[in-house]
Amino acid sequence: MPRLSADDRLQRLLAVVPWVAAREGPRLADVAARFGCREDELVDDLQLLFLCGLHPYTPDMLIDVDIADGRVWIRYADYFARPLRLTPAEGLGLLAAGRTLLATPGADPNGPLARGLAKLAGALGVGVDEAVEISLGSAPEGVMAVLREAVATSHQVEIEYYAFGRDEWTTRTVDPSTVFSASGQWYVSAWCHLVDDERLFRVDRIRTATLLGTGFSPPTTPRELAVYRPRPDDPRVTLELDPAAAWVVEQYPVEKVEPVAGGGGRVRVTLAASQRAWLERLLLRLGPAARVVDGDQELAAGAARRILDRYRDG
Amino acid sequence: MHRLERLINLVAALLEAERPLTIDELRFRLPGYAENDATFRRAFERDKEALRELGVPLVTEPLDVLHPDVLGYRVPKDAYYLRDPGLEPDELAALHLAASAVRMEGADGVAALWKLGGELAEQGPAPAVGSVAVAALPGADHLAVLFGAISARRPVAFDYHGRPRRIDPWRLSFRTGHWYLAGFDHGAGAERSYRLDRVESEVTAAGDANSFPPAPAATAATPAWEMGEGEPVVARLLVDVDQAGWAVGFVGADSVEERREDGSVVLAVPVTNRPAFRSFVLGFLDHAEVLGPPDLRAEMVEWLEAQCPG
Repeated sequence: MPRLSADDRLQRLLAVVPWVAAREGPRLADVAARFGCREDELVDDLQLLFLCGLHPYTPDMLIDVDIADGRVWIRYADYFARPLRLTPAEGLGLLAAGRTLLATPGADPNGPLARGLAKLAGALGVGVDEAVEISLGSAPEGVMAVLREAVATSHQVEIEYYAFGRDEWTTRTVDPSTVFSASGQWYVSAWCHLVDDERLFRVDRIRTATLLGTGFSPPTTPRELAVYRPRPDDPRVTLELDPAAAWVVEQYPVEKVEPVAGGGGRVRVTLAASQRAWLERLLLRLGPAARVVDGDQELAAGAARRILDRYRDG
Repeated sequence: MHRLERLINLVAALLEAERPLTIDELRFRLPGYAENDATFRRAFERDKEALRELGVPLVTEPLDVLHPDVLGYRVPKDAYYLRDPGLEPDELAALHLAASAVRMEGADGVAALWKLGGELAEQGPAPAVGSVAVAALPGADHLAVLFGAISARRPVAFDYHGRPRRIDPWRLSFRTGHWYLAGFDHGAGAERSYRLDRVESEVTAAGDANSFPPAPAATAATPAWEMGEGEPVVARLLVDVDQAGWAVGFVGADSVEERREDGSVVLAVPVTNRPAFRSFVLGFLDHAEVLGPPDLRAEMVEWLEAQCPG
């Protein structure tokens, strides 16, 4: 652990003092473990502490620190009777982390975490359900449970997966390494035996997951949790976007953006679009706000006709 | 003398002060500052900054009514002391687990847990990593400031979509990968939602603490098609069997109006933002169909027809 600055040590000490003072001689080893430092670091800090107190620093005005038999007592530090309140960033960080775990499919809404969060929110002066809200995207509980077990025990899983970009269902055997949430969606990263490569799967697009009897050796190096990486040989499409469709630039990994000369705020963007259905959805949603400049000009029209067929039959 | 010692004495002196202490009084009471005036002032400024960084509520105020232009410093105990949440060991352990399983950018969970009583040594071995869902929450500008304002119930001001706003902040939400603030917009006279990465200025305090009542309870995460100002309608949406599971997961099981024999579902979806609803439906390509009301269905047909002329 790197040496802490005086500011960091102050922060720790302001938490250690009230905790120790409220107890009858806790063991140094326990205090050190609890506050994440080595015993000798803790003793260094405590030895400074008993020189501290209030003006004029006569013995009766100093904090009393007693270290004996591996235990520590702190007295006469009434002004440090309570820890420093949480800063807004700390309060938010803890509430958000807790709400995130509670938003995990399968979390116990009445368990210790929920109770602890309610108490914490009360101490921060906010309502637990009102102040911070986290949605991580939906994921079927049963699928989630199977995936977690498979990760924990390194067993293969057979999944029925909806390939969003190609609009088709596939069955694959995968070696799952991590289940995680990013950008508001749940993913499982896994080695996919169908394509013999590492893949990310969105958990909400897995219809069924079956734990198989076969184990696998978990990867030794943690995998990068990147959600989409365009490959150099993915097909590219160039679109001309009205200002109303400018959000595309923020939302997708576009590779080139240039304003259209005299185009009233229109831009021309190039993006990797390896998958037909993905691009169909994008174009259908954008409607008149986008035009394909380079790529399949008929794609959106074809998709629109397919959908319209439903409406005309019905 | 060690700087840590001086900082502890400084916090103790400011907490015990019954009235604001002037800079000269502090200098007199605190050993360890330099004799030289300029050096002392620099060191004192640095110490003040360090305390504020840690979140110590250091206030600067006039000494008393007789000396309105002489300023002094103190730390009010009620603003410094953490209200004891009274956490049971299992609750503290659960919070600890949450802080280690969820990485939130820009927030240090460790210092917060120290204040709440530190790590639980008796908790036993940490659960296997594989069994813990790992999530990463991105940070965003203004998050901490806004959370502070929410807990103080203090109005804030910032620019958004080119207009200055004054807002009673109610709630921070993380949805579809972005942070949003919901609150009462004084200009609009209604609840509004703002994406934090689109805030165009600093966020500043725009009123006193406790100036509005606690926020109304949040409804479940509001989907985009309910975040508009259009005339509310209830759309009936048919979704084919292959996509039904995930559509229901998205809009909630309460919305299922009918489950058909072939496994498809009819969902009743309240809509106030028609473009957002259209985008949602188009995401299903030809696996979903707007059944009604008739004008909503007609709009969808018209939108699609415009894209395949002839």
